[in-house]
Amino acid sequence: MAVQSEPARVTAPGPGTGGDAPEGPAPVAGRGPLSRTAPYLLLLPAVAATLVLLVWPLTETLLLSFQNLNKRQLILHLTEWNGLDNYRAQLTSGEFWHTAGRSVAFTAVNVVLIMAGGTLVGLLLNRLGGTMRLLLSIGLILAWAMPFVASTTVYTWLFDSRYGVVDWFLDQLGWHGMATYDWYGSQLSTFFVIVLLIVWGSIPFVAFNTYAGLTTIPKELYEAARMDGAGATKVFTQVIFPSLRPFFLATTFLEVIWVFKCFTQVFAINAGGPERLTETLPVYAFVEGIGNQHYGTGAAIAVLTIVMLGGLMTYYFRIVLRQEEEL
Amino acid sequence: MKRQLIAAVGVAAMVVGVAACGSSAGTDSTAGGSGDYKGKTLTVWLMDGSAPQAWQDGIKADFESQYPGAKLDIQIQKWDGIGQKVTTALSEGSVDVLEIGNTQTAGYAATGGLADLTPFKADLGGNDWPANLNASAVQDGKQYAAPWYFANRVVIYNKALWTKAGISGTPKTLDEYYADLDKLKAAGVQDPVYLPGEEWYTYFGLVAGNGGGLAKQDGSKWVGNLESPEAKDAFATFRKLQGYSTAPKDKDEATPQQSTLFPKGTIGSMIGLGWEAPAPKDMPADQVGFFPLPGKTADKPSSVFLGGSNLAIAQASKKQALARDFLKIALSDKYEGQMAAAGDVPNKTSLDSLASTDVAKAVVQASANGATTPNIASWANVENDPNPIKGFLAAVLQGADYDSTAKKYDDEITKRLGQSQ
Amino acid sequence: MRRSVLGRGWPNAVAVVLFVFFAFPVYWMVTTAFKQDRDIISRTPVFLPLHGTLEHFSRATGADRFWTMVGNSLTVTLAAVAGSLLIATLAAFAVTRMRFRGRKAFVLVIMMAQMAPWEVMTISIYMIVRDDGMLNSLVPLTAFYLMMVLPFTIWTLRGFMAAVPKELEESAMVDGCTRPQAFVRIIFPLLAPGLMSTSLFGFITAWNELPLVLVLNKATGPGTAQTLPLWLTSFQTTFGDDWGATMAAATLFAVPVLIIFLIFQRKAVGGLTDGAVKG
Repeated sequence: MAVQSEPARVTAPGPGTGGDAPEGPAPVAGRGPLSRTAPYLLLLPAVAATLVLLVWPLTETLLLSFQNLNKRQLILHLTEWNGLDNYRAQLTSGEFWHTAGRSVAFTAVNVVLIMAGGTLVGLLLNRLGGTMRLLLSIGLILAWAMPFVASTTVYTWLFDSRYGVVDWFLDQLGWHGMATYDWYGSQLSTFFVIVLLIVWGSIPFVAFNTYAGLTTIPKELYEAARMDGAGATKVFTQVIFPSLRPFFLATTFLEVIWVFKCFTQVFAINAGGPERLTETLPVYAFVEGIGNQHYGTGAAIAVLTIVMLGGLMTYYFRIVLRQEEEL
Repeated sequence: MKRQLIAAVGVAAMVVGVAACGSSAGTDSTAGGSGDYKGKTLTVWLMDGSAPQAWQDGIKADFESQYPGAKLDIQIQKWDGIGQKVTTALSEGSVDVLEIGNTQTAGYAATGGLADLTPFKADLGGNDWPANLNASAVQDGKQYAAPWYFANRVVIYNKALWTKAGISGTPKTLDEYYADLDKLKAAGVQDPVYLPGEEWYTYFGLVAGNGGGLAKQDGSKWVGNLESPEAKDAFATFRKLQGYSTAPKDKDEATPQQSTLFPKGTIGSMIGLGWEAPAPKDMPADQVGFFPLPGKTADKPSSVFLGGSNLAIAQASKKQALARDFLKIALSDKYEGQMAAAGDVPNKTSLDSLASTDVAKAVVQASANGATTPNIASWANVENDPNPIKGFLAAVLQGADYDSTAKKYDDEITKRLGQSQ
Repeated sequence: MRRSVLGRGWPNAVAVVLFVFFAFPVYWMVTTAFKQDRDIISRTPVFLPLHGTLEHFSRATGADRFWTMVGNSLTVTLAAVAGSLLIATLAAFAVTRMRFRGRKAFVLVIMMAQMAPWEVMTISIYMIVRDDGMLNSLVPLTAFYLMMVLPFTIWTLRGFMAAVPKELEESAMVDGCTRPQAFVRIIFPLLAPGLMSTSLFGFITAWNELPLVLVLNKATGPGTAQTLPLWLTSFQTTFGDDWGATMAAATLFAVPVLIIFLIFQRKAVGGLTDGAVKG
């Protein structure tokens, strides 16, 4: 359902990769007025699209957040300004702050697992022989290409207390206490399933990118490190990590955004239950704004979410802008 | 899917029976001749799975021949995101007539998006609508929709298992039902009654049967009422019934679909809608029986949640008269009769006799005690996911203390009922 | 000796376990689509659908206007991806190869644009489209899908483009090529893997999008402008979820994505190895 919550499934060097690549001043093609306007002409379509298709609706959303906009107002085309009421209601509600805190923790856990797991799988891909690498790649691609609706449905089912394969399997292994374990009965176990689903779907992106990155590291660097008697850990910290640092930065940035905004998986698994204990900010915004059709409230929560995400991202913005300066 | 299958069978059976009833919609109350209809297309939204295909085809043909030149465009809407779809459609004026669930009607009536049908009530046949079926279509004394069809739950039971457990006949009181369930249990039936903990419709019926409600009016505002003695007493019954089930306490009847479990032969009985009964290919029809959920005393069955749909006209529609003409045909005995024959409760009791199947008979019998949710605009908020009634049932069934949990969820219900419109 | 066998043994074992971990849910989806209803919900899992049925597939493809929706989905998705690649290539070229005032600001905007909360913006987008009388059309849908993937596309292509050594371009220009010619002949071929991998992202995003099309295109009659995600979720209804049909539909829904992957993946990964050396 949620487009942007999609853990992107793309093999790319990552945006940061190129940041520090070019050295020296960029070539200046010509000196006429045309070449001075050339960059702006090239950017024109992108800027125009952003203004019309993003900035406009975003501004509209901001305006809606200062309105009392429910079913009635939408149907009758009414505009009822209510100042900061929507914001006041959220900022003074315990629900909002609990959910916000939970969202941050949820994002942190997921991103750490995705980055660590993805890197390890990437390292493994690099180490495997041709056949096994192909096999694992196929598994990763399958997970990656699976539509959301399908993967969430399958997961709900795999972890069903009566008909789920997971409980059945644990029972077969001899852990009979798990034969009809109810995964959706507690906050922690529900989160376990959600995190597993997200990590499962996101690792392929990181793994393929890590692998692609690894293949670009010159062999001599490894050899030199080995000669110095470096173990596996040292090779990673001294050779691999520095080489792939821009990639790790960029990917972490993307994953933070995607996980923080992730809606479908969190909502579809147990609708934020039990007792609304697994709601994250996007789910909360959906329940309050879209589900209850209080669109003004939803817009306010969305704005607060962006502000919060922007806050979490300032560190990264700074790094990237510094790279830009070096360009 | 099954629902449509059953519906289709029902329709085939009734074509002969009801055709004689004729159409009373022939008289045209709209001013102007047939020329006015040229090029007019009436857009009607029906929900997925509600009207049988034969109903749609028949009404299209009848409508277009009665109003020459006019076209009827029936659009079947899926349930996903229906709230947003209806709201936005009403804001556009892109739909003329639409089906709205009875618990949602008050909410939309209050928005001003539905046309006031009060002056036309009699003309639409409104004098024959029973008060309990019409209640949800009325808001502040005004008629904002017309009752179309209703459905309520009955007990569906596996006759083979009941015979095996040595039970003959069907229970007339709850105590007799408990006794039967005990026998089924003794006979080794896995689920004497299959009842998931979040199946709140049954709980709702039990509360209504005690004369209570899940919400009550407190001065000028509505508040949650799970703390009331009626609700608590109903919960005891619900818990006792649920105790006969291995169904999950924190899931509803659709996860997994209880209708797919029943044919497995491990379920003695379940509380469900007519369409949830197994299809003949899954279980022989003579092995499946139906009875209304019994009440505390034998004189009347338990109260049930009365689900259903109303037909309304969008205020923004520019074809009000034509839309009413369509309603007249849809609500006529001919087409209401088709709904009744398909196993739904029709909007007038005179058509109840068309309920010919066992399941339809049980449904109609139970519907006499049907109760609906509070007829207030904000009720729809309560049913939005995550539905606090479901959360409450799951929590208490899993061991939470009744009173304090009821208080907590009453607060949530109160909050939702008080949300600004 | 022992050490090396062991050393080679465990990665293979781990790879097999991981393969099962990643592939099993997909396997479960596909096999479920072929299972009869009574095997789908079963206490002892049925791992091989020996008594398979195509019933779910025929139900899924027999839905009203299925083929119209297939056409709509393909049109919207391909148009959005092509459009965003074109716009992004121009922008990425400007950002990586030219110096001008406002470049940094533009990069910052592109970064922040990735945080756009599209799900919650649905209602403002709806109001804009409604007031412009563009409902039930593929045009606004294509435009907004294009925008959803544009920031990521620009950002990623910028990385790829920066990785192409400038010397190549310069030497081409020394050889008498104009700048556009140098771009088309030198950079563009090297950019192919980047274009492919970003189009994968775009394809998946646009292909899966639901909240927007749900409110923009509600008309279901002939000539409907609805897309496949609406069809995919239509098997989950208030009357209950039709698991078999959902899984069959999901399987069919995933097929185009898998095909695109199979075409692009090898090249994209392989290309990276050659192209992104400077990373």
